[in-house]
Amino acid sequence: MTKLFLPLFLGFTLNVVSQGAEQLIPSQAVTVFSINNTDVLQKISIDEWITYDFMNEIHQELFDKSTENKSVKDAGLDFDKRLCSFYGKTSTYELTGFTFGIKNLNDLFTVFDDFEEIPSNDQNVRVYQSLFNNLIVNQDNGLLVRIEPLEPYLNNLTDSIWYARGNTSPYYAFDEDQDMTEEEITNEDVNKDMLEKTYYELRDSLQFELQKQYYATVMHGLLSDKESLYSKDSVFRELFTHTSAGVFYLDNSRNVDRSKNLWYLKTVLPTLYLDVQDLYEDNIITGDLVLEESSIKFKLKTSYSAPLGAIYSEMNDAKFDNSIAKYIRSDQPAYFTYTINLRAAYEKAFEVLVPILSKANDPEISFNLLMLKLGNALINKDAVFDTYKGSLFLTFNGVQKVKTKKITFFYDEETFEYGEKESEAEEDMPIFTMGFSTKRKDIPDMVLEHLSQVTSKFENKGDYWVFNKAIFDAAPVFIINTKDLFILTNDQDFAENHRDGFGKDALSKKQIKNIKKSGTMAGFVDIQQLALNFPSEFINETQQELFNFLRNKSGNLSLRSVETKAQFSTFEMNYSFLDKERSSKHFLDLLNTLYLLTR
Amino acid sequence: MKRFYLLFLLLPIFLCSCVEIIDDLTLNLDGSGTFKYTINLSSSKVKVNSIMALDSFNGKKVMKLGELDNMLAEFKDVLKKEKGIRSVQMEFNKTDFIIKIAIDFGSIQELQNGIKTAFIKVDPKNNMLHDDGIWMSWDGKSLSRIIPNIAAERIKNVKDTEDNLLKTGTYTCISRLPRSIAKTNNVQCKLNPSKTASMLRVNALDLKLNPNLLEHTITLSP
Repeated sequence: MTKLFLPLFLGFTLNVVSQGAEQLIPSQAVTVFSINNTDVLQKISIDEWITYDFMNEIHQELFDKSTENKSVKDAGLDFDKRLCSFYGKTSTYELTGFTFGIKNLNDLFTVFDDFEEIPSNDQNVRVYQSLFNNLIVNQDNGLLVRIEPLEPYLNNLTDSIWYARGNTSPYYAFDEDQDMTEEEITNEDVNKDMLEKTYYELRDSLQFELQKQYYATVMHGLLSDKESLYSKDSVFRELFTHTSAGVFYLDNSRNVDRSKNLWYLKTVLPTLYLDVQDLYEDNIITGDLVLEESSIKFKLKTSYSAPLGAIYSEMNDAKFDNSIAKYIRSDQPAYFTYTINLRAAYEKAFEVLVPILSKANDPEISFNLLMLKLGNALINKDAVFDTYKGSLFLTFNGVQKVKTKKITFFYDEETFEYGEKESEAEEDMPIFTMGFSTKRKDIPDMVLEHLSQVTSKFENKGDYWVFNKAIFDAAPVFIINTKDLFILTNDQDFAENHRDGFGKDALSKKQIKNIKKSGTMAGFVDIQQLALNFPSEFINETQQELFNFLRNKSGNLSLRSVETKAQFSTFEMNYSFLDKERSSKHFLDLLNTLYLLTR
Repeated sequence: MKRFYLLFLLLPIFLCSCVEIIDDLTLNLDGSGTFKYTINLSSSKVKVNSIMALDSFNGKKVMKLGELDNMLAEFKDVLKKEKGIRSVQMEFNKTDFIIKIAIDFGSIQELQNGIKTAFIKVDPKNNMLHDDGIWMSWDGKSLSRIIPNIAAERIKNVKDTEDNLLKTGTYTCISRLPRSIAKTNNVQCKLNPSKTASMLRVNALDLKLNPNLLEHTITLSP
């Protein structure tokens, strides 16, 4: 991850404004992040900038012993130009890199001092190579790219050649039960080491050859065919007309990680694969990062194909369930609402997918399709979608003492013998509430009644249920089944005293109006409250670093979906802060935290 | 003071939880006896479960339940083969996080050697276990219990932020002897009415602040 993150962050350290560098991004790039340094760097000095943790990594990567005492400031980079970092992955290789402006080529090579120039077939372009990276210099624009075969692919290829040659497993281990002398064991070890060494030599040479081959493919496209992401994709091109501090691009239709589940279809049923792929055609996610006086906005736009858009449009054509509002406190540290019409989405998805799946001649898919059609015809869809309508809410209610059971030892004062007894205990626990919209109270009731007969852990308390020892076999979960909502919570106070909502303490009219305006998704986080209240033992160390960072911040994070059309949806995330720090400082702080998180 | 060794193997979980430990030693006239050791984490089971769900905690790898189970089983297997160890019984209540071990031994020295060897085999990388100190001694007239320096250092290193949890933890040290007790040098030691057993109970936080609290010598009547 560090490898991927490095170029990403190096991207942040450079800049964009005059044209050029982004035009060198290979067409194989799937994700691009670009930063306009005029917005960021005008407010933050490079000296301050290079104190961040992510800059240390960049220094370590670029500045080896031969470049000691130099920093990114001395690297000959043009800080008035946009810098882009990119990542791409095909089924056989991945590429990472960044593009940047060059102010002084000599200074650049004091940093990139391991590179050697190799012949170029374009007189305007100079090409350099080091052991791992390739550097392309086109006038005052640079591209640093690393291309590597995918490890599973490389391993498979190595194994197939290795075993085809009649070799035994390089990881062969002798039978421990076998009686062997010391000398025989030593010889066995030596042979094993030799075998392993030969295997890795084969793997290394394959890696080297594949790297050359893939590099040639990428460079041919870029330099001979003059085909870059910029020249090929009008959506990507358009992004660079934006004046925001940063832009983000992800072509989801070429996102191998997303489509790997379709790999079987691609190999076995190419026609069907292509049809399903059509769904994701034009599925491109773009984003703008806007720095304002006391906030940072991240505006995200997801474009999609007409069939996928039709499903999303139906799904998002829903109104906020008013019954949710009374169950969220106005001062809740964090809450999230999701409003969709699941029934409409299902009907549209059925309409779109059935014709696609019907084309398949595969018996397994045909059988699945039959099940799908039978289910559609026989199941009472009204009951299903009235029970779970699709809308939900989630709240974080801080940390509370929850009642648990513990074992204590009691002593006989005469003999000091001891025995065990169960008693009440209290432990700190983060408190969450989750509720789903429903029109069929009777169905969850039926399930709960049944469960209470099967296990004594389910207790009917009249207006609510308790599932004892549900969390870590210690703390209870409370289930409240109202006319409109099915609610799960570990908040005893909520279950006992707020089953009808929080009354005047619930969301204000203004807050409800904002949620309604937000459409499908709305979220709010009081950063400091969340960070201060969330117990550290429930999160891992890297997450703790994020929380430690957030504890020093005051502000709110809000998320909302802005608009859903047949061709696209837009979302907005807003980080507003109350202190007097500059937005660019907050921005870099956040990036640094993200870096620490993904390190 | 082998009692701490068990505790250390299960670090970092235990010292970050409210822990109740019972260290119960029964000695016969011939020097043989039974050693019972109980670790009770049931009052922190939510916390222990959540820590166990993590890969690492406070910079240390967190042992998974299965690994802990295997380690305890291995410890038992190794220990029962040690010289002078007559039987080993172990019980692990995974719901309430209570571990109980009972060891029948030929002599105190063999018990200590056996425990130490078993721990070194189970966790050879743990330098602490190579400490060759004697934690208990029995000469037929008196029983002494002390804390090895390394153990004292470990408990001192528990973070101050965990002090609240330590406050609710206890360490109970029980010694049952073959004759009546004439005296003990630790005023906190409580004797039973027949004066054949002593009990020393200390708060885990107090123990962190003063590891010598558990040191005591019990002298028997002639």
